[in-house]
Amino acid sequence: MKPFLAYLAKRLLQFAVVVFIGVNITYVITHATPIDPVEQSVTAATSFGVTSPEAVEMMRASLRELYGLEGSPVEQYLSFWRRVVVGDFGPSLSAFPTPVSTLIWRAMPWTVGLLLASTLMTWIIGNLIGGLAGYYRRNRLLKLAGIVSMGVHPIPYYIVAFVLLIVFGFVWPVLPISGGASMNVNREDSFGFALDVLLHSILPSLSLMAVGIGGWFMGMRALVSNIVTEDYVTYAELAGVGRRRILRSYVMRNALGPQVTGLALQLGAIFNGAIITEQVFGYPGLGSLLISGVHAGDYSLVLGITSVSIIAVSAAVLVIDLLFPLIDPRVEVR
Amino acid sequence: MRVIRLLMLALASLIASTAASSAQGTISDLPRRETLILENPEGTIKNPGWFNIWAINAGGQYTGLHQLALDTLWYIDPERGLDGSWQNSLAAEKPIYNADFTEMTVKLRPGIFWSDGVEFTADDLVYTVETQIKTPGMRWSALLSLNVDSVQKVDAQTVVFKLKKPNSRFHALFTVRFNAIWMMPKHIFEKAPDPLRFDFNKPVSLGAYTLNSYDPDGKWFLWQRRDDWQRTTLGRYGEPGPKYVAYVDPGPPDKRVIAQLNHDLDVIHDVAPEGMFTLAKQSKSLKTWFKGFPFGHPDPTLPAVIFNLQNPTFQNHDVRWALALLIDIRAVAMASYRGAATISAIAIPPTGTHPDDYHKPMQDWLAGFELDTGKEKIKPYDPTMGQQIATMLRPSMGDQIPTDPAEIARSFGYGWWKPNPTAAAELLERAGYSKRGDAWYTPDGKPFAIKIMVEGDSRPVMTRAGTMIAQQWRQFGIDAKIDVAQGTNMLDRRGAGDFDTFIGWSVETYGGHPDLAFFLDSWHSQFVAPAGKTQSPRNWQRLTSPELDKLIEQIRTVSFEDPKTVELGRDYAKFMVREMPIIPLMAYNVFTAMDETYWTGYPTAEDPYTDPVPNWGNSRLMMVRLKPTQP
Repeated sequence: MKPFLAYLAKRLLQFAVVVFIGVNITYVITHATPIDPVEQSVTAATSFGVTSPEAVEMMRASLRELYGLEGSPVEQYLSFWRRVVVGDFGPSLSAFPTPVSTLIWRAMPWTVGLLLASTLMTWIIGNLIGGLAGYYRRNRLLKLAGIVSMGVHPIPYYIVAFVLLIVFGFVWPVLPISGGASMNVNREDSFGFALDVLLHSILPSLSLMAVGIGGWFMGMRALVSNIVTEDYVTYAELAGVGRRRILRSYVMRNALGPQVTGLALQLGAIFNGAIITEQVFGYPGLGSLLISGVHAGDYSLVLGITSVSIIAVSAAVLVIDLLFPLIDPRVEVR
Repeated sequence: MRVIRLLMLALASLIASTAASSAQGTISDLPRRETLILENPEGTIKNPGWFNIWAINAGGQYTGLHQLALDTLWYIDPERGLDGSWQNSLAAEKPIYNADFTEMTVKLRPGIFWSDGVEFTADDLVYTVETQIKTPGMRWSALLSLNVDSVQKVDAQTVVFKLKKPNSRFHALFTVRFNAIWMMPKHIFEKAPDPLRFDFNKPVSLGAYTLNSYDPDGKWFLWQRRDDWQRTTLGRYGEPGPKYVAYVDPGPPDKRVIAQLNHDLDVIHDVAPEGMFTLAKQSKSLKTWFKGFPFGHPDPTLPAVIFNLQNPTFQNHDVRWALALLIDIRAVAMASYRGAATISAIAIPPTGTHPDDYHKPMQDWLAGFELDTGKEKIKPYDPTMGQQIATMLRPSMGDQIPTDPAEIARSFGYGWWKPNPTAAAELLERAGYSKRGDAWYTPDGKPFAIKIMVEGDSRPVMTRAGTMIAQQWRQFGIDAKIDVAQGTNMLDRRGAGDFDTFIGWSVETYGGHPDLAFFLDSWHSQFVAPAGKTQSPRNWQRLTSPELDKLIEQIRTVSFEDPKTVELGRDYAKFMVREMPIIPLMAYNVFTAMDETYWTGYPTAEDPYTDPVPNWGNSRLMMVRLKPTQP
């Protein structure tokens, strides 16, 4: 038990250091942006309407005070960390005075729901077909699946998304093309709302899966192709072990290691949001929120979303490191 | 194998089931025939439950909130209006000033009620003003603090403002061009401990609609016609047609086009010219401002080449004029709007009532205007440029291009400057520039280089215009380049004066009223920031001119309604032609696309009762003219 506790402590320390460095880098980058949130607010408030230069000067001064931008850089940095340790990223500067955490929590279920489901399905389908294709190398259907998935894989994502949009949104308009749910849908009717959300998620998740499956397919097929030539597989075949069992227990399980690590990293990155997907399909979520924060120079919001993402990716890697011995029996804690 | 087959089967069944239930409809349980759906160009609102518009940039504005739920004293329509472009809204009559413009009296319209049944009175107006003065950081706090010495209720329908200094345009603060100071409901806000941190949810409405529901994720806002719509200022025009009005975020331009072709979006705020041409070809129910080409509505805004006049290169009048004479506006119109542009040689947008007040009456002066290049005197104005653009488009657009000269002038503009590289070379030589080989050099021997800042994909039409101008200047031998500053970066650099030139606008007018003080007052040299400091809107070119200052000071002493405002406006236009501190290009044409499947009666150039662009406060007038297409 002692080696495991020492390993755990070491990994937790690494986790804390990675998060600290990552958040600091993000802090520096976001605060170095040439976009001034006060100017964005002034522009939004004065665009198209009557204004006067003197009034704008007064407005600028008021907003700097209101947004807490008056202190020295060191004071602002210390204040930031004081808030972050209690999970408070401060108010959004582009939706003042709403807290950043409120905005993140509102957007997160959409992103997590869409990306978790599509990432897991992509991973399962890609690895399953890839594993089968690596083992049953002469099967025509699997060969066709390989050609299709590898053919779609290199197509830029936005092209695939746009084609799906045109096909299912215009040529055969059967699927919703925008938003996460219908307008005015009754959210208290949980079944109806869930079905509506499911329908709205089909096109975005289909687009993600179409592009993503090929990568997992190729990786798994290559891994399995190598493993099937290993001595222990040949021995199992000669010993008369059933092909399904060989595939499941001897081949797939041993090939899963790197794929699981890849999955963990992708799951952690979910908290970045799928920026292009959310933009193309007008889907609500962290990606859209992040982009709007960048455009508005709202560094509180950008910092909040990025910090959540850093913590999520680091945590995913930590969890996988801790669980790896359970997945792959060849790995043990030393 | 079985797993794969099952997965494929499941996917096919899901798609088939959605087809059967026609899942694409955007409205879950609302009668589509009673619902008008418009695009909100703000997109997804981060903070949808925030309706306190008096806090700066805290929530959505064009969600229907300022078009349908809020109201103020007066409106000036960018077009003709329902009963004239000037509308007394909450005010019963026009503003009443004393002789030296230090006092303004407002008579309020009686019988107007908030949606919760409380009557709108002078108390609300006084509260709106005093609360914002008392609370720095509110949206109109600074403007009111600078102007108002005191505000006093005389009776329930009369309010008197005493001003800190004479201001003949004080009423403009309460006059909607796009927006204005909206009235606050005293009986609601006075209960809030801090008006800056109060979300005003659910909003109490002063307009003909009240909030029905909104998307917690900020994609749509649904408004419902008030049962007592007669007790609102819109009531005097009749019953609003749509029972429900939805402002939605339909996504990127391609999705907007698809949504309208599927009749799920009645009004698109704006699309790229290509999107509009697709709709014109494929939609049988499309309605646009102009019946045919150029389709879009010219906003009272004037895209131009804006020089940084604190940059020594552009302080020479000859250089500015030389650069203007190197532009072929026909190519710029084709590149930017694919020809669907309304050009203007003078620094006033060719829209609303301005062509009648300025462009048409100034044609003779423009035709006679002479420019001395040092070697010759030329008459640079070509009154046929608008017609030439129409002629260029006729082979490809056929019947969509008007033939009547008056209609061509209204659609494509009047004239512009003839490209004249010879005169441009003479002007540059007089300014000390020289040509060696194919390249021009500055008086101190450096290559003549200019960067044109554009917004890139954030504003593709303007970017295309800038790219074409850079190309034309380069062909002449100037090292002209595009300098892309996306969206917000552009705003910061524009304010900081961190540019050579940019494509944008510093001229915005009422459109429906000839007074130019709306933008021109802020051009006084008293407001020009020193180099390196942030310039306040709207004099981005940082122009300082005693002649223009004198003109602005004259306008300040003249009443808004005085016919002299037009004379002074023409003097301004002549000054701008002579000095060329910006090179005016065209109106900002907004490709608002309207679908008549469910609603008819949209405003058009033939029936210009208001601006169809749905984020303008004035667009509320549409509601009383729209009628259902299907019974």
